Amino acid sequence: MNFMFRHRRWFTVALLAAMAVGASACGAYPNSTFNHTTDFNTSIDSLWDKLLFWGTLVFIGVEAALIFVIIKFKRRPGGADPKPVHGNTMLEILWTGIPAVILIFIAIPTVRTIFATQAKAAPDALQVEVIGHQWWWEFRYPEYGITTANELYLPKGRTVNFALTTVDVLHSFWIPQLGGKRDLITNRTNYLWFTPNDDLATQALNGFCAEYCGSSHANMKFRAYTVEPEEFERWAQHQARPAVFPASAGAAAATVGTVSQAPAGAMEIAMEGGDAQDSLNAVAAAVAPAPMLEPYEFAREQLPAHVIPTTRLPKNISFDESLLAQGDAERGREIYSRSSCIGCHAIKGNPMSMGVLGPNLTHVASRHTIASGYYINDAKHLALWIKNATKMKPGSLMPAIGIGERDLVLKVDVTAARGGLTDPQIADIVAYLQALK
Amino acid sequence: MATIAAAPPYTQTAAESSNTGLWSWLTTVDHKRIGVLYLVTSLIFFVIGGLEAFLIRAQLAVPNGQVLSADMYNQLFTMHGTTMVFLAIMPLSAAFFNFLIPLQIGARDVAFPRLNAFSYWIYLLGGIFITVPIFFAVAPDGGWFGYAPLSTKQYSPQINMDFWVLGLQILGISSLAAAFNFITTIINMRAPGMHLMRMPIFTWMSFVVQFLVALAFPVITVALVFLQFDRFFGTNFYAIGAGADPLLWQHLFWVFGHPEVYILILPAFGLVSEVLPTFSRKPLFGYPVMVYSGILIGFLGFGVWAHHMFSVGMGPIADAVFSLTTMLIAIPTGVKIFNWLATMWDGQLRFTVAMKFGVALVGMFTIGGISGVMHSSPPADLQQTDTYFIVAHFHYVLFGGSMFGLFAGLYYYFPKISGRFMSEKLGNWHFWLSLIGMNLTFFPMHFSGLLGMPRRTYQYDAGQGLDLFNMLSTIGTLVLMLGTLFGLINLWKSWKSGERASSNPWGAPTIEWAIPSPPPEHNFDELPKITSRYPLWDLKGTVIAKETTVAEEAGFVQRSAKQLGIPMPNPSIMPLITAAGVIFMFSGMLFTDSNIVLAIGIMITGALWWISALYNWLMTPLEDAH
Repeated sequence: MNFMFRHRRWFTVALLAAMAVGASACGAYPNSTFNHTTDFNTSIDSLWDKLLFWGTLVFIGVEAALIFVIIKFKRRPGGADPKPVHGNTMLEILWTGIPAVILIFIAIPTVRTIFATQAKAAPDALQVEVIGHQWWWEFRYPEYGITTANELYLPKGRTVNFALTTVDVLHSFWIPQLGGKRDLITNRTNYLWFTPNDDLATQALNGFCAEYCGSSHANMKFRAYTVEPEEFERWAQHQARPAVFPASAGAAAATVGTVSQAPAGAMEIAMEGGDAQDSLNAVAAAVAPAPMLEPYEFAREQLPAHVIPTTRLPKNISFDESLLAQGDAERGREIYSRSSCIGCHAIKGNPMSMGVLGPNLTHVASRHTIASGYYINDAKHLALWIKNATKMKPGSLMPAIGIGERDLVLKVDVTAARGGLTDPQIADIVAYLQALK
Repeated sequence: MATIAAAPPYTQTAAESSNTGLWSWLTTVDHKRIGVLYLVTSLIFFVIGGLEAFLIRAQLAVPNGQVLSADMYNQLFTMHGTTMVFLAIMPLSAAFFNFLIPLQIGARDVAFPRLNAFSYWIYLLGGIFITVPIFFAVAPDGGWFGYAPLSTKQYSPQINMDFWVLGLQILGISSLAAAFNFITTIINMRAPGMHLMRMPIFTWMSFVVQFLVALAFPVITVALVFLQFDRFFGTNFYAIGAGADPLLWQHLFWVFGHPEVYILILPAFGLVSEVLPTFSRKPLFGYPVMVYSGILIGFLGFGVWAHHMFSVGMGPIADAVFSLTTMLIAIPTGVKIFNWLATMWDGQLRFTVAMKFGVALVGMFTIGGISGVMHSSPPADLQQTDTYFIVAHFHYVLFGGSMFGLFAGLYYYFPKISGRFMSEKLGNWHFWLSLIGMNLTFFPMHFSGLLGMPRRTYQYDAGQGLDLFNMLSTIGTLVLMLGTLFGLINLWKSWKSGERASSNPWGAPTIEWAIPSPPPEHNFDELPKITSRYPLWDLKGTVIAKETTVAEEAGFVQRSAKQLGIPMPNPSIMPLITAAGVIFMFSGMLFTDSNIVLAIGIMITGALWWISALYNWLMTPLEDAH
């Protein structure tokens, strides 16, 4: 019996070793940490290989000795009492020394890697500001004047330097496939940088909050798309523009808008606390007569299964889906612009909508998830979310809006007098948001 | 020849056997009975903590589990950690401190018997205080680590975290009082000839632990006072709006929290260092090195706290320093493992259940130790911290280490405590199911962690490659619970009707085995004179004490302390009443928000209550005049 269990452990260890070597980009484990996709995780993984090697060696040594001892020295009937050995100085020095030597083999690459990975990022790195909120992620690209939420686009081959801050409690920024995590500490700025490999496939990856941050800690996810530099430029240029609305106005209007509305966009960034240099960069970027590129987003139909949320809908909320077909974007814009939505959300290009507490919705329809990677971004989920976010996501700080709904966080019932909206009105808003490509 | 005569045969006197009513337990100041109270209470909390763990695993068995709400899950994982650390493992160790330390050093009781009772009552009432809210779904929900600013009023405005802050303060009183008590006991009350380097190794490890408690608990007390003042009186230690640095909490918490890990493991190491020699029939290999490594672990334990914080961005120098100190601590720990192996080497190993748990500790703790070295390397830790890999690591340390060691101690010392054996048959079920269950529960967590599963998440998406590992862990929990059930049944049945045990049923070498099982109230008829480390084994020749039998000891009548003219401390209800007053005073804080007058009223009443009880306590002599 005993032997069998030991055996099982050997097997699992062998499996662990095999995984460590071969699991990079392994489809079955989409959040694996054993990758060589960036300089950062390459150096982490090479450290891990050393740790695993020495760890396995010690494991095999100790457990083999233990098994040997318990089989070999099992009491035999009639056996004489053993010799009362009290110790052996040489042996004890030996097995103080051996671990010490092994630890030196671990310590030296460890210290090297610490200093290499925590050096200052390359000066030409892409700057991304990561701002933690209970329970969603704000991402800003100051050099492009972009403020977005919960979905990151990272160009291959260029170092990206994340500046990590939080507006409330502690969070931790982690994309397991690309590297280690770093905490977001209130009243501090932390940095984390890495360079996605040039030859990386265009991928959609999961990001997580790894520091417990309250009710919906588990639901504070995000997505990271590693894309070609050219795709990134297209994405960034589009995201930097104000909302294209109405959509029918087409590209011509957008071209004009690029220049005429840029200062407004830049102003918004300044108000949101980006420093002056960033604002100037943003103005420069926006004013420069850049050629219009085809907007880019990670193709929805190419999303792998592991980035599609499987969250189950709560049972105590419903929305008549036939209303969604009748939703009118123009009406929705009007309702949105005089509802409580604008207290928290900003839509660049909608002068009424300048809130900064919630995610920026300028290009919300270009995102594939809502509620911090918690639901698919489609009409049905958007409608339910707007109707009562507190039922849709535990602890959600976005209040319920649907008339007749109970706000589980504020513990009030939503009425028209409190600014509640009817289902048809919500359907209109959904149509508006879905137009914000 | 052995320095201590063969154990005297023993029969309970009528006076002793009648001394068992409820009142006698409420007023007892006998370290052995207090030890039993600790044992029973901590096992009850162990079961509660285990049920909390079961609910957690039930929720995580499949993706998007629907068993628990997010808030309930958060309360459960907070309480699972808090319960297991403060209410199960620490007090289970305290059960052994209480029962064994006076016996092992040849003393009649601890230095301050009533303070000892007070420690227990504070623990019991504080444990109830912090546990009851879970039944009303208002339990603490900020994690057992209570990180600010999430634990501040701004982000946890409900009463939940109030229970946690106050509960831990209350429990800290118990631990600190006990620590000073045992330090004094060990320093002052050793029998003649019991030099420090002749002390049984369990007492040595306990001695180290008491210093860790005495030095580490004040730090968390300070951290909690800050938080308490923030929450109740509006100070700004952790108020981020006023510019507070949340790392203040983390440093304070882990300066306590890492020594706490050694507070949890060293008693188990001590117990195993008693069990392995007895069942190998060989003295502990390298006793001095085992002592020094224990001291060194305790000492270094204060210099590694920030390895819990490699992801907070302390900068490369701090990361490197704490990484190296952490690696350093692996050396004395490794020495212990090797010395245990050497103790068994060439021995005559007898695989009782106690020995099996002891050997399993060596095997399982090694796994936890190795994964510990893996996250002593900060860059690697950045992929591991706050994932299930860490959960796997510390459960190998705390379940495979602490709990297995404590179970080994329980099976080994149960005959001394109760005068009866635990059943080997049920014990084998307990052991094998625990070993299989714990590996099945915690080994897959290494995988789920390294494959990207963050901790403290009540749900995970399907299709992340985590389903199998989580299902295995949940099945493992069931096996583990079944094993624990066998253990508890064993304990219950053996207590009632286990086979009678003699004074030294294992042929053990230390002096607690020279007195009857269970020991008389005064422990030793006359204080033993100690001339070696293993008084019952004559190691100059080849004579090792044989197991004594009940038959050999039949007919002996143990005389009571009174008959022998030994003054013993009188029972007193005052420790319990004082403790209740302290708890009452603390509970007044809960009402500061809702009704300040009531709150102040309760606090003043509680203060008057415990101060007058303490006055009575201090004015009553410990012993009858003689």
